[in-house]
Amino acid sequence: MTATLDRASASLAPGRPPASPIAPPRRRVSGARVAGWLAIAALLGFGVYSIGGLGLDASYLAHASAKLSQFFGQTSNTITFPSPADLAYLTGLTLGVVVLGTLVAALISVPIAYLAAANTAPAPWLRWLGRAIGVVTRAVPDVVLAFSVSLMFALGSTIPGVIAIGIHSIGMISKLFADAIEQIDEGPRTAIRAAGGSPAQQFWAGVFPQVLPAWIATVLHRFDINVRGSAILGYAGVGGLGYAMALAFHQFDYGRGFGIAIVIFALCVALEIVSSTVRRALLGIQPTGRGLGDRIVRAATKGRRAADAPAGASARPTAVASSAAPPADLTGLLRRPWTRDRVRNTAWVVAALFFVGLAIWWAQIDPNQIMWPQVAPVLSSFWPPSFGSAGAAAVFTALLETLQVAFAAALVSLVLALAIGSFAARNVAPNGWVRGVARVVLTALRGIPELIVALFLIVIVGLGAIPAFVALAIGGVGLLGKLIADSFEEVDAGPERALTAAGATRTQRYAAATLPQGAPALIGHALYLVDTNVRAATLLGAVGAGGIGYYLALSAPQLDLHGEVTTLVAILVVVVLALEGIAAWLRRVFG
Amino acid sequence: MSTTTRPAPVIRVTGVTKDYGSAVGLRGVDLTVNRGEVVVLLGLSGSGKSTLLRHLDGLERPSSGEVEVLGESVPRLRARQLRRLRGRVAMIFQQFELVPSLTVLENVLTGAVGQLRGPRLGLGSYPRSFRLRALAHLERVGLLARAYDRADRLSGGQQQRVAIARALMQDPEILLADEPVASLDPESSRQVMALIREIAADDGLTVVCSLHQVDLALGWGDRVVGLRSGEIVLDTPTAGLSKTKAMEIYGRVTTSTAELQLEFTGALL
Ligand SMILES: Nc1ncnc2c1ncn2[C@@H]1O[C@H](COP(=O)(O)OP(=O)(O)OP(=O)(O)O)[C@@H](O)[C@H]1O
Ligand SMILES: [Mg+2]
Repeated sequence: MTATLDRASASLAPGRPPASPIAPPRRRVSGARVAGWLAIAALLGFGVYSIGGLGLDASYLAHASAKLSQFFGQTSNTITFPSPADLAYLTGLTLGVVVLGTLVAALISVPIAYLAAANTAPAPWLRWLGRAIGVVTRAVPDVVLAFSVSLMFALGSTIPGVIAIGIHSIGMISKLFADAIEQIDEGPRTAIRAAGGSPAQQFWAGVFPQVLPAWIATVLHRFDINVRGSAILGYAGVGGLGYAMALAFHQFDYGRGFGIAIVIFALCVALEIVSSTVRRALLGIQPTGRGLGDRIVRAATKGRRAADAPAGASARPTAVASSAAPPADLTGLLRRPWTRDRVRNTAWVVAALFFVGLAIWWAQIDPNQIMWPQVAPVLSSFWPPSFGSAGAAAVFTALLETLQVAFAAALVSLVLALAIGSFAARNVAPNGWVRGVARVVLTALRGIPELIVALFLIVIVGLGAIPAFVALAIGGVGLLGKLIADSFEEVDAGPERALTAAGATRTQRYAAATLPQGAPALIGHALYLVDTNVRAATLLGAVGAGGIGYYLALSAPQLDLHGEVTTLVAILVVVVLALEGIAAWLRRVFG
Repeated sequence: MSTTTRPAPVIRVTGVTKDYGSAVGLRGVDLTVNRGEVVVLLGLSGSGKSTLLRHLDGLERPSSGEVEVLGESVPRLRARQLRRLRGRVAMIFQQFELVPSLTVLENVLTGAVGQLRGPRLGLGSYPRSFRLRALAHLERVGLLARAYDRADRLSGGQQQRVAIARALMQDPEILLADEPVASLDPESSRQVMALIREIAADDGLTVVCSLHQVDLALGWGDRVVGLRSGEIVLDTPTAGLSKTKAMEIYGRVTTSTAELQLEFTGALL
């Protein structure tokens, strides 16, 4: 009996050597698992230590609340907005830069993802190259890029902003796109290979159509993130709403600065709604998900398929006249009919092209703004790397500060997200009403542009790490909570049902079935949040939250300090890779 | 028709062994198929049917032995020559393997990539003459009316007929089919098998088709080749193999396909 089972499992996993037929199928408490638990304990411990190290005490809270109430008391009746014409101009500038930057990244990401995905990489070393480009571009904050390259352009040019967003966004888009490529159904591609297709033909005919929705969804997602980030880019002198806000705060015109912040906030929310609507429409085209929309679309197509069946059956292939088809009949069919699908797809394409055209006009891209004599000196200034004037000790202390902000915020987010996210999961929530409320709370939290909140708190309460920590902790709840809810809903329902049948209470079922099954995903999501927090904390450091970002912001605008930028970025790359390595290892151990 | 012409081998497999390390796909397989023959591969799951078919199209390389298709030594071909050979050998799969989000017509056109240079995306990227041919092939499989539907809107049987049209787009000399009806209902299975047979006869194709169903195989092919654990254990023309005689070989009369298979392997043991 056992032998049969072993044979069956061995043939199911052809890649693995067959297990010894005598060994009972019992899970051993392996050394790797013990190490995994220790690593998790260490990560949590560092999170607790980080929260303690922030200096968040009663006196700070008193100070902060005094500052905030003073601010709101003074500015609530003096909030001013730029004139409608100025507002339209500034918004256009911001959108133009973000759209073009995201578009540049989206296009560059296609070949990079092609190299980085395991199933399309032409050679192992090219795969590493593709991944390295992704990691490095993701590690360099866009503010630093904007500061660094702005020396090559005329003052006030928007091109540094486009370049900064364009390069920095490659990391995320190419990574998620490569993941999507790795998850495709290989069948259609094999069919094209079997028909004599070259690698390029296999990709464009067999792979790209499968990942197109994922690509667009990723790009739209990144577009949202970039709109939020544009407020920070303003601090690096990239024109638009962010720059106008920074200027107002510098001139102590808090009413105007706050007014512009409100506008940015509203813009973020509006664009988030637009892009998630578009994304949902896209998912509707490819109804494979578990969402409500997907299920509706699937039900609709099923009905249609049933309606088609008689027609298909009547067209008996055996009754069809074989060969020598009269071409005269077929030429009329060469023209593709304007079906609903085609009209809709064409409308999307036209709208997208129109939007891009508008963006080019809005962003006022002008090639004359490039100062050609500066290009070579700026590019070569990044080599050799150095620790500059600050020295290694100061830099590593700053790195620790940034990591503390990231871990502390992630830990607080994790605790809150676990509570809210669990209630947002269908299989945990006691009733639909609780689940609905939890989902709405998460959505609202996700809508908060944490970078802008952090910026705002830094301006009002003062420089330091705590504003960044607070903003990231709140912002992380929305993201992590949704990921937790989704992964809890995806756990195998079997064990839960078994426990219910055995008379377990709701809480027992949660603790014994749902949580343990969802734990590997939970660990992965939490580390993902740490990873994004490190990037965000670095970015916020550049605008006053301290840490490694402070040194980046200090050295990026000065040509003779660019060697330090290279060093700092290299350090960040190592940190980010280490976090990814830990996440991958824990996934292997517990997955 | 094909029996009257002088036999000319288009496929010659000699002593092919495929060792995956963890499992052995094929063990010393010898197989010769003449032009115009319709050969059925029979065997249980894991017996090596797919592995053998994939060797014929150069999707796998043998660990040892020789695979000769249309006069070319498949394992020795360079990338470009291999692509040219694959253009002359069409393949049909159990799961159809259409690109779900593309139209039926564009899926058929992807069969022609071997005749075109450079990547293609979108109907407009294929020459007009190719689109006309693709429409003609769709008419042939009875799906002209669905040319501009998304491929995943079609039923399984219809999708497999699109896959056949895609194979025809290659103007192939050999048609390889890997359990083409294993995921179809009986009526669709009958239609698809009849269509393959009809096209093979009309176009003089050589067909190698793996099947699970013994009863389907007996009525359909010219010749049955049985595989078990990667070895060929049976190679006989179906002409001399009447249904009742086949049942005698497999033991008693059985009802379900699954049982037939069991009986079949029993006979092979
Ligand atoms: N890529 C691979 N790696 C490792 N082993 C493989 C691989 N492909 C096939 N095998 C092994 O080779 C043997 C033959 O497999 P094959 O897929 O050819 O069988 P089959 O007759 O087509 O079965 P089925 O009817 O289930 O499709 C099996 O033992 C299988 O596990
Ligand atoms: Mg198979």
